[in-house]
Amino acid sequence: MITEEIIKKIQQKKGDYPVFRSAIMSALHEIQNTEGWLSQESLYKVSGMLNIPPATVKGVATFYHMYRHVPMGRNIIQICTNVACMIMGAEKLVDLLKREFGIEAGGTTGDKRFSLVIMECIGACGTAPAMLVNDDFHDNLDEKRVMDILNGYK
Amino acid sequence: MITVTINDREIKFDKAVTILEAARSGGIKIPTLCFFEGLEKFGGCRLCLVEVEKLPRLQTACTVMVTDGMVVRTETDAIIRARKAMLEFLLINHPLDCPYCDKSGECELQDLVAQYGAEEGRFAEGKRRHPESFDDPIIVRNMERCVTCTRCVRMCDGVQRASAITVTGRGDHSFVEPFSGGRYDCEYCGNCLTVCPVGAIMSRLHRHSYRAWFVEDEIETLCGFCGVGCSMILQMRENTILRAIPRMGMGINKGLLCARGRFGYDIIESNRRLTTPLVRKNGELKAVSWAEALGLVAEKFSEIKEQDGGEKFAGIVSPELTNEDNYVFQRFFRETLFSNNIDSIIRMFYAPAQAYFEGIFGQGITANLISGIGKSDAVVVAGGDPTKINPVLGLQVRAASGNGAKVVSLSNAAGLKRFASSEPVARSGSENFLYSALLKALIDTRGLPGRSGSIEQEIGNIKWPNDEEITQRTGLRKSDIEKVAEDLKDPKNISVIIGPDIMINNGLMGLFLIAAIIYVLDARIYLLSERPNEQGVIDTGCMPDTLPGGRPLEISSFREKFEQEMGYGVPGQKGLTLFEMFEAIGKGDIKAAYVMGDNPVFNLPAADRIREAMSGLDFLVVQDAFLSETAKMADVVLPAALWAEKDGTYVNLERRIQRLHRAKKSVGGLEGWQIIAGISGLMGSRMEYNSARDIWEEITRASHLYGSVSYEDLATDKSLWPYKGEPLRSGKWEIKIPEEVVEKTGHGCHVYPDRLLFHSGSFSRYSPALNSIQAEPYAVMHPDTAKSIDIKDGDRIKIAAANGWSIELVSKVDNEIRDFSVRVPNVFEGVCVMSLVDYGIEPGTGAPVWKLSDIKIEKVQ
Repeated sequence: MITEEIIKKIQQKKGDYPVFRSAIMSALHEIQNTEGWLSQESLYKVSGMLNIPPATVKGVATFYHMYRHVPMGRNIIQICTNVACMIMGAEKLVDLLKREFGIEAGGTTGDKRFSLVIMECIGACGTAPAMLVNDDFHDNLDEKRVMDILNGYK
Repeated sequence: MITVTINDREIKFDKAVTILEAARSGGIKIPTLCFFEGLEKFGGCRLCLVEVEKLPRLQTACTVMVTDGMVVRTETDAIIRARKAMLEFLLINHPLDCPYCDKSGECELQDLVAQYGAEEGRFAEGKRRHPESFDDPIIVRNMERCVTCTRCVRMCDGVQRASAITVTGRGDHSFVEPFSGGRYDCEYCGNCLTVCPVGAIMSRLHRHSYRAWFVEDEIETLCGFCGVGCSMILQMRENTILRAIPRMGMGINKGLLCARGRFGYDIIESNRRLTTPLVRKNGELKAVSWAEALGLVAEKFSEIKEQDGGEKFAGIVSPELTNEDNYVFQRFFRETLFSNNIDSIIRMFYAPAQAYFEGIFGQGITANLISGIGKSDAVVVAGGDPTKINPVLGLQVRAASGNGAKVVSLSNAAGLKRFASSEPVARSGSENFLYSALLKALIDTRGLPGRSGSIEQEIGNIKWPNDEEITQRTGLRKSDIEKVAEDLKDPKNISVIIGPDIMINNGLMGLFLIAAIIYVLDARIYLLSERPNEQGVIDTGCMPDTLPGGRPLEISSFREKFEQEMGYGVPGQKGLTLFEMFEAIGKGDIKAAYVMGDNPVFNLPAADRIREAMSGLDFLVVQDAFLSETAKMADVVLPAALWAEKDGTYVNLERRIQRLHRAKKSVGGLEGWQIIAGISGLMGSRMEYNSARDIWEEITRASHLYGSVSYEDLATDKSLWPYKGEPLRSGKWEIKIPEEVVEKTGHGCHVYPDRLLFHSGSFSRYSPALNSIQAEPYAVMHPDTAKSIDIKDGDRIKIAAANGWSIELVSKVDNEIRDFSVRVPNVFEGVCVMSLVDYGIEPGTGAPVWKLSDIKIEKVQ
């Protein structure tokens, strides 16, 4: 559900830019922050609110990696598997999540507790491997630490 | 002056152009893939790379502008290596399925690879996979073949301005898709098909049925679906149309088409076409020979003429037929039958509206170039949606909006949604209150121009409704109207586009108010034209009161001069207008009718009454390509050729004369003039015509309007109004102007005919392609209307009128219908919305004054 509050926020954002088109990205973020993902219906609504053709909104939404197009769990685990993290064992951590929670990259647990996303470098090469859980940053990871951290997210 | 050296040749320019344009103007070829004339420049494919001296890297010729003294080389070893490398990259993913790709033979990638290589790829990765999409009935998408040149997206965004497709994803996951990801649900203009260089977006209509090199002949002709008069090419093999395509830059449409023009050609090949004449025997229509059918018509007509005289005939011509057909028809009626009872469906809007505006402003006032709309700084639209009625003209309105023009839409125009700066739409039935309020507001902001005393005197006579009354009737606030007046305060170069719905509620008062608005704005007038040759019907004298060329036949000096020059007589008293004819038929004053290419018992208001009247005729002849509702009632049905099977001329809504070229021979059907000349000959008046050209020459003699425009002159500026001919009349007519703004109808729901983008009256229902886009009628209404009668989207409903007629169809709820009308297309068999409305006759112009009765809508279980 897109609440009245979000609609109001998006309507306000329209005024922040010289053309409505520029407000697409922040409108999409606004919805993703509460919904967790962008449904086709949400894209259509954004198009209506900004008076932009729906296809144009979809083009923007699918271009950027961090807009999600499938429903996500309550908590999103994002693990970096780029060079430094890979050398320091990030792939083992991915295997661990698969073992413990039965999730593949891009998947969500049956109880909607976690979604797993493989992400690109988050600039923590010195303290690799690293991950984000929702907006929280965690580094110097090993299997135990990962499980301890995740226990804090319900 | 800019001097550029390209491949050691000096070329001079007086303005800056791109290197590509410079090279092409000098006859030097530079290969391109993402470049397309008329689209925004992109510079994405890197195939037009050229060497520019003193610049370190290769440059894209399509985006870099020439400068004075620039030295360019277009084919060096380095360039050829670079192009080969670019193609090698494209071939990493582009499948090598040319043997079964329909594009093979006209594929730009294929041609480029043939020229530059790469013969071998060095990349070991597999190709990207993306299943071909058959979700759409008309367009098939194969995104594995897409080279992401984005021509289709730039066409859809920048020219068609429908923005229905986009590049989704990124990198090698980039695919061009509509919003749904499946069906397009767009305007189906198919202009993306024109620009796709590879086999990524293709028409399903001829999929795998032929290869590009099977085309034996290309015939340049006109589209027969509306009054814009777009040029297109029919690609032929033997006697079959393979497909209809535009050519970029060609014709007034400059290479753009709409759904009807591009996909509706299959109507010509429809298996429902009539192939033999039919004659009613023992109550049933039976196939007979041409000789028998024409003999019977001649015999019956001779009998009625001798017994009762010419005034017992009614002749209905069609704006779908050529000038030649219509001219010969009026000659037959006047010379052979001695009757002036000739009229057509343009009596509904085009003819009376034009007569009215010409009466006020002078002859030829509506003859404005469509391309001028795009250059206007304001556009006012009333009485219909130009993007649906005349789609290619509608693009000009969108273009004007793109250039910063103020677009004011006074009617339901969903196609102008993102383009209108204001859309004050009055509640159905109260449009005249909106027009008068707007007129008053415009006089306040712009003042009266003082050019015409008589118009200003009439404006002075108007009894203005007060503000509360306007708000109460129209549902619009005073500020809505003031905003429009503010938008229209300063523009100097204004176009006013008027559609057929203006006649529905508003009558002459509506036309006068619009005329006064035009006068105050000093605007150009465009009349939307639903059929291809509405102007031609007027010009060829297929009117009860005018001769070919538009001269009134009741003025004896005109008539006598005409008779003398043409060698045939014309009755001196004007005939009956279309609706007067039906009244007369109903009273038994007319015994026989000849309907040429129209379907009045379906297309005209009070269709049921007209059907009843027609069934009382002694003898009805219908000439048509299909067994229409009217043809089913006929005593004789004569199969006719359609536009692709004809030579001849059409006159479009700009009053531009254009030529049709025969692409194929009709199977069984004859051209209108051939049939008429045959009947006339059997009745003792021989008409010596061998071709459409002979008739054209006679028309130019008969119509001083066309002056001496020869066939060769068509497609030159001589085929444009005023044709370098004689002016026909000067001065102005006396026009009766009502003083009071009154509401024609109550506050209930009213049913209106909906004008569809995908259909062209009751005629295009025979096109399988257009039916695959829209095969079902629906009743579209605003959510508030739906709520008030407890109807949901998709409900099956019954709409009943006070006259006892009803139709059953599916409802569609759409908040684009802003005036609380219920709109139903008058296209599909069995759903005749015209039977739900009634009319009266406006005495001055003979136009029908619509009577919209309140309707009752209920859900069908």
